[in-house]
Amino acid sequence: MPGVTEMSLDHMFCSRCREGFVAHEKIVNSNGELWHPQCFVCAQCFRPFPDGIFYEFEGYKYCEHDFHVLFAPCCGKCGEFVIGRVIKAMNSNWHPQCFRCEECNGELADAGFIKCQGRALCHTCNARVKAGVLGKHICHQCHGVIDDKPLRFRGELYHPYHFNCTTCGIELNSEAREVRSRPGYAANEMNELYCLRCHDKMGIPICGACRRPIEERVVTALGKHWHVEHFVCAKCEKPFLGHRHYEKKGLAYCETHYHQLFGNLCFVCNQVISGDVFTALNKAWCVHHFACAFCDQKMNQKTKFFEFDLKPACKKCYDKFPQELKKRMRRMYDLNPKRIPPV
Amino acid sequence: MNQTAPVSCIPAGKMSKAKKVLDEAREIQNPELDLADKGIATFEEMPGLLNMINVTRLTLSHNKIQDQINNCFRLVAVPPGLANLVNLEILNLFNNCITELPISLSQMPKLRILNVGMNRLDVLPRGFGAFPVLEVLDLTYNNLSEKNLPGNFFMMETLRALYLADNDFEYLPPEIGQLKNLQILVLRENDLVELPKEIGELARLRELHIQGNRLTVLPPEIGNLDLVSNKAVFRMEFNPWVTPIGDQLQVGISHVMDYIRSETYRYVYNRHQSAKGPPPPIETDKSKKISRAR
Repeated sequence: MPGVTEMSLDHMFCSRCREGFVAHEKIVNSNGELWHPQCFVCAQCFRPFPDGIFYEFEGYKYCEHDFHVLFAPCCGKCGEFVIGRVIKAMNSNWHPQCFRCEECNGELADAGFIKCQGRALCHTCNARVKAGVLGKHICHQCHGVIDDKPLRFRGELYHPYHFNCTTCGIELNSEAREVRSRPGYAANEMNELYCLRCHDKMGIPICGACRRPIEERVVTALGKHWHVEHFVCAKCEKPFLGHRHYEKKGLAYCETHYHQLFGNLCFVCNQVISGDVFTALNKAWCVHHFACAFCDQKMNQKTKFFEFDLKPACKKCYDKFPQELKKRMRRMYDLNPKRIPPV
Repeated sequence: MNQTAPVSCIPAGKMSKAKKVLDEAREIQNPELDLADKGIATFEEMPGLLNMINVTRLTLSHNKIQDQINNCFRLVAVPPGLANLVNLEILNLFNNCITELPISLSQMPKLRILNVGMNRLDVLPRGFGAFPVLEVLDLTYNNLSEKNLPGNFFMMETLRALYLADNDFEYLPPEIGQLKNLQILVLRENDLVELPKEIGELARLRELHIQGNRLTVLPPEIGNLDLVSNKAVFRMEFNPWVTPIGDQLQVGISHVMDYIRSETYRYVYNRHQSAKGPPPPIETDKSKKISRAR
């Protein structure tokens, strides 16, 4: 030990007890500090360091056990001492592998985290939670918030731009259509996405009311296709569901409203005329209700009748009208002969 | 059961004619009675009729039904007991000599069509407007005017056709606007000098006859109505119209309606109303009307 022998014992003393060393006494040297072997002990338990391993803190040396007890952080999750890298976050200490997103359980140590309502979340989960509060959707692919209209595909929502049209390959927008490649096949793994242009060219009927494709029963009427439940009366908006409908000026009506709106109620019974309609004098009649307005005798298509205030009068009744009235009717007709002659 | 009328001053031949129809109807349970042009003068010629409560239609047009005046009592033309026929839906009394109707008719629960045209009605009974389901009321060719309508006449909200042609109306009461279901209104050849603006409230009206009156202007509100579609009829000739309306009428009803709806017409109408002259004179002679006969 040339270093030790060269030094004069007079100038050396123990770092702990400040006493000198006797010649040939054993001296412990640690980083230039000297100790009596009995003085080189844990500052807490005064026992030698097991296997010579000690921990130094603020100028004092501690055995491993006491150092942990006194100074080492405990993990906020597993409760064990954290040796090595300590993650200090959320007012606690963590093993790097113990500090995880409270939503998806992904490690946060290197990815960073965002404190959200007292919870540590990864950026993705934070965005989703925030979007959920704002009523927005999260893309199932990139987990980002979908600000514009989402694209629904196989039951999940996406940013439309993650997909391309199955036919032409163009990047899709929210107008894109999901098509069941096997109609009626329930599993949606079979579904494919098409841009609107290609979709329209595929010949899948589009509903004239909702402009969406019709995948189940198709009703064809008024030169368009309709979802069964979207083919409705233009007045009451109830679906016809296979019941008879009536068309007028490009619109469809149920029986009741067609007759109510377009006057095919019988003048006598005021009911919808179910069979043949007798139309005359700006009115309609059930065939068996068409009768002279004055004697109630039934008339048919062949019966000759006269018009009196747009009411039908059979010849017998007209003949019984007083002369003075017939004279007036004649005069009115002569002066204004645009209408059907009264005689 | 055959009943004989208690008083019988009626020739037996006539009586059997109507009676035969009733007997037949009873036999085959026919609910529709056709008794037109049977020379009937009184309900006594139709024994048992008022007990045939399953009757739904009774047609008595072209008869001579009228009040019977004997030395000591007066028998009214239409007996109040007619209202016993609670299933009656259609009652046709056209072309008789009836001067008065019993108030009981207005209580008939199923009466939908009532034709009392071409009679001699000078007045309708108080409370006549109480009909619960009346749809068609034909009072053509009588002697009625706004002065002798009952107070509740325009309460008949179920009316879809009202025929008042050949009567003596000078004004149409504004309450006409209450007849929300009215589709047909006939006022031909009355003495009307103006129409109420409430006529514009009859949203379902598709037939309006006002020809042969003394009208000079139309209320602009009439422009609210659809009277020019192919399902509508508007007859307005033979009135002393102000020149612009008369000119439009020469080219067609649709031109009249377009003009009525214009700002120009509103101005013409307002000026006409503020500088109201005397109404045009009555030019028609009604003395020959058979409804005037006494």
